[in-house]
Formats: sequence, structure tokens, C-alpha cells
Amino acid sequence: MSATTHRYAAAPDLPAILPVPKERGRIAGFIYRHPTIFVGGLLVGLMIFIAIFAPYLGTKDPTALAPARRTREPSELYWFGTDMLGRDVYSRVLYGSRVSLMVGFSVAFCASILGTFIGLIAGFVRQIDAVVMRVMDGLMSIPPILLAIALMALTRASVQNVIIAISIAEFPRVSRLVRGVVLSLREQPYVEAAIASGTKVPVIIWKHILPNTLAPLMVQATFICASAMITEATLSFIGAGTPPIIPSWGNIMAEGRALWQVKPYIVFFPAIFLSITVLAVNLLGDGLRDALDPRLAKRL
Amino acid sequence: MLSYIARRIVATIPVVLMVALFVFSLLYIAPGDPAAIIAGDQATPADVERIRASLGLDRPFLVRFFDWFWHVLHGDLGTSIFTNLPVTHMIAQRIEPTVSLMTLTLILSLSLAIPMGVIAAWKHGTWIDRAVMMTAVLGFSTPVFVIGYVLAYIFALRLDWLPVQGFTSISEGLLPFLRNLILPAVALGLVYMALIARITRATMLDVLSQDYVRTAKAKGVGQRGVLFLHALKNAAVPIVTIVGIGFAALIGGAVVTESVFAIPGLGRLTVDAILRRDYPVIQGVVLLFSFVYVLVNLGVDLLYTLFDPRIRY
Repeated sequence: MSATTHRYAAAPDLPAILPVPKERGRIAGFIYRHPTIFVGGLLVGLMIFIAIFAPYLGTKDPTALAPARRTREPSELYWFGTDMLGRDVYSRVLYGSRVSLMVGFSVAFCASILGTFIGLIAGFVRQIDAVVMRVMDGLMSIPPILLAIALMALTRASVQNVIIAISIAEFPRVSRLVRGVVLSLREQPYVEAAIASGTKVPVIIWKHILPNTLAPLMVQATFICASAMITEATLSFIGAGTPPIIPSWGNIMAEGRALWQVKPYIVFFPAIFLSITVLAVNLLGDGLRDALDPRLAKRL
Repeated sequence: MLSYIARRIVATIPVVLMVALFVFSLLYIAPGDPAAIIAGDQATPADVERIRASLGLDRPFLVRFFDWFWHVLHGDLGTSIFTNLPVTHMIAQRIEPTVSLMTLTLILSLSLAIPMGVIAAWKHGTWIDRAVMMTAVLGFSTPVFVIGYVLAYIFALRLDWLPVQGFTSISEGLLPFLRNLILPAVALGLVYMALIARITRATMLDVLSQDYVRTAKAKGVGQRGVLFLHALKNAAVPIVTIVGIGFAALIGGAVVTESVFAIPGLGRLTVDAILRRDYPVIQGVVLLFSFVYVLVNLGVDLLYTLFDPRIRY
């Protein structure tokens, strides 16, 4: 062995200090670095696809009654079976994705806008900060689902009212987050410089503050979206949400409740869709947080 | 120490007032005029006006609020529109199952989630860590009632180990009580466990990289001693914080869990009240739950001083 090494020993290979970086394409690299964003995004994309193209995915009218063929087990003809009124569960579940996604995205959007607005004002105008934040504390002391339930009890059941009720329950958290960011940014030299040089407050907010709140805001919005979907399903499930005539996942489960011991599939199919969608949005949020805050990424 | 406790207690007063104001506004803007309902179909507008005055409904908003709040402070939450019983009476009838459910859930969640988080941090990067984290993400992606149905389907319908639904009071024996309550408690607790396990793991990872942990290891403290004495005590503040904040999920979840498992508690009372639009009952339950939530978080604030004597606000 030593003899053989000697023959080539004149110039030994340099030890590999760093492993040679693996060549990856841009997309493969992204998937490798952020697997949760990829998986979450893919699943959310799939759900959006289902929601948009629900009429073309082999569905029937989700509200068409057919008492003659009620509570059929899942079969080739009825993939997810039929419910107690003979409606096709597969079609109802696919159309149900529309309600969930719309509520999730709308609440994330409304709560972010409202929360950002209030957070910016509270963070910038010292005189009203204390009052506004006490009101937010009060709102946050009511458990969100209860607050949404109470608000829904006041109004007529409609998707729009569900969105408003859940947004009101969720926005105080956003306002607290934005206010925190604003308070720490105010002390930054570049903001002080902008104030000292006489830049108008709206310009400072728009140009210097707002861009820096976007990253945490986006992460928060994803989590709000996930929690809004669960809240919508919960409200519908207990009969205080989306009107029963609209097929939403919560409504399908609420109607399947009476029969769930004998016909569990009516409850389970919407449940699986809901859980996968919420999981996807949560994965996306986790991935975004890790990507936008590398310090946390190593730990969480 | 005492002044911190006193200041924390005083600081909750505006929050409680704020909550009361919201809950009162709820009834104030609720559709339907109580005076018109009491007066009946035959009443003239003058009659309705007279009844309104006699009920004090013509007084300004704030006067009515403080009047109502004064009654609440004396334990009077009004009368149910539907049953005509005092709301406090209805709550008292239904409170035992809810308190039992939440207590069991709390015990289960804390005794499982904290060790899970600690072990995940200790075995950081291994499959145990990943399994715990995956379970946690799944845990708060699945609505409580879905978990409830899955558990009931497996353990009650398929395996026939536990009853499907219902509630047995603890006064009728511990075993029947637990048999009925274990599934709802697990279903309700999963979200809570996920929250606590995640934060425990994150904080423990932070703490385990601190110098004093290395010192403890160097001077020969055992693995368990390092994890549970040195590290966990210093990780306690964020953990109890999330236990307090997560209590909201527990309250919201209880409302749904009770519907799934047919438990005659406050959650069922809430759902029934919503379906009947029984506003005084909704108001009473929301007020009670919010008050409990504020108290729990006050308790958490006070616990801080126990875990971290440096805290002085």
C-alpha cells in the first residue's frame, strides 16, 4: 500500500475543505432551500385551481336535490357519495372550496388593511396611541371565535357578514404587530433624518415605514388566512355562518352531523379538504417566516 | 413584588371595562325593540313609549351601560328572552361540564406538550424533532370538530372502547367521568398542545445554547437536570405566555367540542342561544368567557415574577 502511495505522492490532492456546491437549477434550488413554501404553495395553488374550475371537474349542480338517491355510499357514479337530500357530496366539496378560499383571502386582506392603518396611526400619533391600544386590548380579550359568533348573531347570515365578523375578530393582532414595528422604526436614524429634514408624515409612512412592515405583515396575513378558514367552517358548523343554502365545507359537515355515525363520509370528505387547505396555508406561512427572517429559520 | 402585582391588577380594570362596553354594545345594537315586544301587537306608539321609559330604555347609552354594568357587578346578567330564567342561573346549570372539560384538557395538554417540546429541542434535527414539529403543524391545521369526529369514529365507533357522546359528572365516579371526557379533551387539546410544544421547543433551543447551560453540563449536572431544572425554568416565561394566549383557542374550541360530543355545557348553551337569538344569554356567556380569559392572562403575568424574579414593570 505504502509503495503505491509513494509513486504518486509528489503532489498530494488538496484536502476538500468545503464540499463542492451541488449544481442546482434556479427552481430546484428554491425547492431545496424552502421546501415548505413549495409544498404549501403547490397545495394552495391546487385548491385555487379547484375553486376556479369547479364546474369543469366532473361536478354536477351542488344544490340539486334528488331524494330518490339519498345517502348513497361513495361509488364510481358518486365519488364522495350523496348526502341525505341526494346531493352529490363531491360537487358540494369542490364548490365549497370557493367559500373557504374567498373567506380566507378576504379576511387576510381586510384585517391586514384595517390593522395596518390603525397600527400606523397608533405608532405615529402619540396622543391617541394609549386610547387606541386599550381598545385593541379590549377587543383581543374576547376570544376571536366568540367575538365572531356574537357579531354573526347580530346580523343576517351571509358570506359578506362572515368576512366582516372574522376580520373584526382578527385585525387587533395586526394593529399590534404594525404598531410594534412602527415604534422600533421611528427610532431608526434614517427615519429621524427624514423627520428632521421636514419630510411630511404621510411621505415618511409611505416611503420609509410601510415597506419595512410588509415582511412581517405578509407572514401574519397567511396565518390569519388559515385561522379565518377554520373560523368560517366553525361558524357554519354551529349554524352561525355561511347561509345553509351555499355549499361550504362547514355547512356540508353541519348537515352531515346527524348521520355521521352511519354515513361518516359526508363529514370526512369536506373535513379532509379543509384540513389540507389550512395545512397548506400554514406551511406557506411557516416557510415565508423562515425565508424572511433567517435568524428564526434555524430554530423553527 | 407587591407593587407589581397591584399594578398588574389595576391595569386589567380598563381592559375589563372595555370588554364590558363591547359586550353591552352588542345588546344595544341587537335587532328588535324589547319595548315593542313586551307591549304586544295591540299597543299604540304611546304605550310602547311608556314601556320604554319604564324599562329605562330611553336613557342615554352611557347611563344605560353603567346601570347594566352595576347589575353585572352584582351578579345580575339579565333574563333570557327564550326561557325567562335569569342568565346567571342558566350559566350555573351548565358550568360543570365545561369546567371539567377545560381542566382535563389543560392537564393533558401541559403534561404532554411541554415534555414533547423539551425532547424535540434536545434531539434537535433528528426524526423525533421533525415528528413532533409535523404533529404540531397538523395539530393547528385541523379544526377541533374534525379531530373530534376522527377520534370518535376510531375509538368509539370502530374500536368501541369509549362512549361516543355524553357527559357523566365526576360525582358519579372518576372512571365513567374520564371515559366520557377523554376524547373531547384530546380533541380540544390538540391545537393547544401544538401551540405549547412549538413555543417550548423554540425557547428551549434558545436557552440550551446559553453559557450557564454549558457550565451546568461541565460541572456534571445530568442531562435531565440540565433540561428540566436549568433550561426549562429559564424557558418558562414564553411558555406560560403562550399558555395564557392560547386559552382563547381553548374557549372557542370548547364551544364546538361540546356540540360534537353532546356535552351539556356552556358551549352548547352558546350555540343554542345563537340559534334562538337569545341575546342576553349570548351576552352573558361572552362576558363570562372573556372575563375568565382576562383573569387567566392576569394569572400568567403574576406567574412571571415566580419564574423570573428580575421582572419588575
